[in-house]
Parts: sequence; structure tokens; C-alpha cells
Amino acid sequence: MPVNLVVNGEERAVAAPPLTPLADVLRDTFFLTGAKHVCGEGFCGACTVLVDGKPAVSCLTPVGLLEGSEIRTVELLADPSGDLSPLQAAMERHDAVQCGMCFPGILMSLTALFETDAAPSRDTVRTALAGNICRCTGYERIVEAALSVCQPEAAQ
Amino acid sequence: MVAAHEARLHVATSVDDAVAVLTEAGGDAVPMAGATWLMRAELRDEPIRPLYVALGRIEALKGVEIAADAVSIGACVTHAELAGGLAGLPEMRGLAQAAGHAATPAVRAVATVGGNLAASGFAAADLAPALLAADAEVEVAGSNGTERLPLAGYLATRDQAAAGSLIVRVIVPRGDCVSAHTRLPLRVAGDYPVAIVSMNVAVSPDGTIADLRIGVGSVEPVAARWTALEEALASQPLDPEAAATAAREHAGVFAPRDGVEASGAYRVRVLPALVRRAIEALAASR
Ligand SMILES: Cc1cc2nc3c(=O)[nH]c(=O)nc-3n(C[C@H](O)[C@H](O)[C@H](O)COP(=O)(O)OP(=O)(O)OC[C@H]3O[C@@H](n4cnc5c(N)ncnc54)[C@H](O)[C@@H]3O)c2cc1C
Ligand code: FES
Ligand code: FES
Repeated sequence: MPVNLVVNGEERAVAAPPLTPLADVLRDTFFLTGAKHVCGEGFCGACTVLVDGKPAVSCLTPVGLLEGSEIRTVELLADPSGDLSPLQAAMERHDAVQCGMCFPGILMSLTALFETDAAPSRDTVRTALAGNICRCTGYERIVEAALSVCQPEAAQ
Repeated sequence: MVAAHEARLHVATSVDDAVAVLTEAGGDAVPMAGATWLMRAELRDEPIRPLYVALGRIEALKGVEIAADAVSIGACVTHAELAGGLAGLPEMRGLAQAAGHAATPAVRAVATVGGNLAASGFAAADLAPALLAADAEVEVAGSNGTERLPLAGYLATRDQAAAGSLIVRVIVPRGDCVSAHTRLPLRVAGDYPVAIVSMNVAVSPDGTIADLRIGVGSVEPVAARWTALEEALASQPLDPEAAATAAREHAGVFAPRDGVEASGAYRVRVLPALVRRAIEALAASR
């Protein structure tokens, strides 16, 4: 039986086997390749998307559980014209991105945070990113960029 | 052997529906809640089951209900919901910390209380020692009706449970006590803790320990009470250093497990420090 989803605002139906990880459905069926399927264990966070507004590791999310769910991926952040979202632009401005593998997940974890807490503290930003591993950067520029969006006066 | 793409999923609509489908399938089906443990079965070399019964749409398994004498926690309450639901209750601080600091935000948003307690073979479950320290009971539904048993009894028998049984809720008594949850992860977050110590204490007017329960997780294959240390600390003041010394004296009771991230001996060696931190937290929260 197909599973009905709303993916980035569009109604979609998917007929994949129920245990198929959402990450694979997004990438292989919908060609939304922003979310990365890296560790497949829930530990790295590169596959993070929003399911009904909450961050979820899509590698461990069986599509069969998602009937009626609303999925948002990193592809939704930039304006259709190609303009980056304020958060994406801040990452670029702070030179925070290196290889970029972790960024789709980092951006979605931060998007979820900003929707529940418009002015998070530095510690809250760090805690929100606890499940997003970045092997290239030291996280500091990522945190600075995030703070520059939500509380410009707190960022150095 | 079933491949992952061959497995089927039944989305249960009620506890009775889930019990009936699980019972009929015998050992071929298991419940599925947040799926954060089950989706990694192949990585642990565990078989894929022919049928999974999804519990997430069953209303009766949801919600944290706070009454005067007890808190009832639905089996499908997520870690994030539990941490939020207990926020106003000082005596539940240890349990709230366990739920709010385990794993990562994205895992806490879906991983459930029932899944944490029922994941056999998962030694590092945070909620198990916290709920042992809290003296929790587990309500289990099965084809013969519903039974309520102490969490320790559930953990000891969960591997032999009849097909069709599932946790409905967890009941935690309330009382005039304070609690704390301490753990040692190797990173700050995201990995499994090397060892966990949870404590729940009622303190006499003179400041000594009137009633103490200690849950220890991740050291042995299944979380357990540390009764030898509970007895040693009875009627003593909340003294972190003295408690750590007593912990060293009574650490021989464990048969610890070796793992890739830490040896069994190391898990036991860190326990006195976790005991000291837990007593410090208890003393501070009085
Ligand atoms: C990146 C990562 C980090 C983690 N870190 C931690 C950590 O720090 N601390 C910690 O404790 N855990 C940690 N975990 C493990 C996670 O918390 C557990 O996997 C989770 O609690 C399981 O809950 P679930 O709802 O996802 O269970 P599921 O995967 O759905 O199920 C787990 C088991 O329980 C059974 N089950 C589920 N619900 C019921 C029920 N109501 N009745 C009977 N059986 C049931 C299933 O059949 C299965 O055997 C981590 C996991 C990941 C991916
Ligand atoms: S790929 Fe999902 S957490 Fe690493
Ligand atoms: S930029 Fe390479 S992993 Fe983060």
C-alpha cells in the first residue's frame, strides 16, 4: 500500500517496502539528494530532515511509519530563485562550510531549533547540534553563523 | 531469513489489535515504536522479522499523566516528551535528566520509553536504571490480559515473554524524595554511556539517608539495582566522598561486560566517580 506524504509542500505517494529508510526514499525516489545517507546508524546526523516539524534521522525512519507526515528537507530552505536562506547565507558569510557533507543535516537541526526558540543561547545551539557530526570544521564557525542569524549582538 | 525489503508492517489501531496480530504471528512479529533500535538490527547481525507491528498510532500508549501519588508514562511517549512532561516535578529530576540527555535531539524526538526498556541486548539504556531507581512498575498487555510487574522483574523475563505481549505504560510512584542521573559518555553526546548511575533518595529530617535506591546501567548486560551500596549508605549523611569510598568497597558485586568502547573493568572503575557526582547532585537539589 502506498504511503502518502507531503514532501517540501508537495503531496507525494511512495510504494516502497515499509522498512525502507526515508533517506533512501528521498534520495532515490524523489531525487532530493541533500540529505546524506552516511553512517546509517543515527550517529552522524547527515541525513537529518524534519518530520512533522521535528528533526529526525532519516536513515532510521522507516517510510511505513510516515503515512500523512509532513517532510521538510534542506532543498526547501533556499528561495526557488536560488537565493540562499538567511541561515545558509550566514554559513557562507562565516566561511563555515568545508566539505559540506554534514551541512544538510546541520541546517535542518538548526531550522527545527529556530522554530521552537527564536533566540537560543550559545549552549542551546550547541545542544541542538549534538547529533550532527562534522569531521572537517571545529564547529565554532557553525555556531557563530547560527547565532549571527538569531541574535546578531551575541555573535562575535 | 527475511530481507529488509520483504518485511511487512501492520499499523495497529489499538492495544487489542496489536496484541491480536502479534499473538497470531507468534515469534514472527515484534512491536515497532520509534524504530531507532530495530532499524539497526542488521548492523548488529540480528535477523529481520517477517512482520512488524507499529504502535505509534495507538492513543492508549501516549501521554504522561501526573496524579498525586504516581506518574503514568505511556509506552510510546518519546524521550523528548518525557523530559518535557516531567519538567515541573522535582522528585522526577533524575528521570527527566535520563530522558533529556540520552542520545541526540533527533533520536530523542522519536525513541520511546517502551522501546528503551524492551530492547533486549541493549545494556546502555538510560531509562532502565533511572526507572529502577524510581521504583517503577511496568504494565504489560498480552493475550491473557494485562499484568503489572516491577521493572526489575520485567527486565529479567523480557526475553522469555510470550509472543503478543507489549508494554502499555510505566508507573512511577511519587514521594518526598530527590533523584539524580549521572552517566559517562566518551563524547559529550551521541554515543552510548560507558556506565550510568541513577539514584533516588528520601532524606530524614536530620539529613541522613532514610531510603535509597540506586540503579546501575551499561555495566552488566542488564541494568540492576546496586543493593550492596544501598545498604552500606543507609542512615548515612549525603557525603559524596564517603559514598565514593563505599562504592569502591562494594564494586566487586558486578560481573561487567566488555565492549568495543570500554572494557568491563573500566566500567566498574568509573562507578565511584559517578556515585560521588550523583550524591553531590542529590545534596544540591534538596
Ligand atoms: C544515535 C543514537 C544514540 C543513542 N543513544 C542512546 C543513549 O544515550 N541512551 C539510551 O538509552 N539509548 C540510546 N540510543 C538507543 C535508543 O534510545 C533506543 O534505541 C530507543 O530507546 C529505542 O526506542 P524505539 O522507540 O526507537 O524502539 P524500537 O526500535 O521501535 O524498538 C526497540 C525494541 O523494543 C521493542 N518494543 C518497542 N516498543 C515496545 C513496547 N511498547 N512493548 C514491548 N516491546 C516494545 C521492539 O520490538 C524492539 O525489540 C541511541 C540510539 C541512537 C540511534
Ligand atoms: S546517516 Fe543517518 S545519522 Fe548518519
Ligand atoms: S564540513 Fe565536512 S563534515 Fe562538516
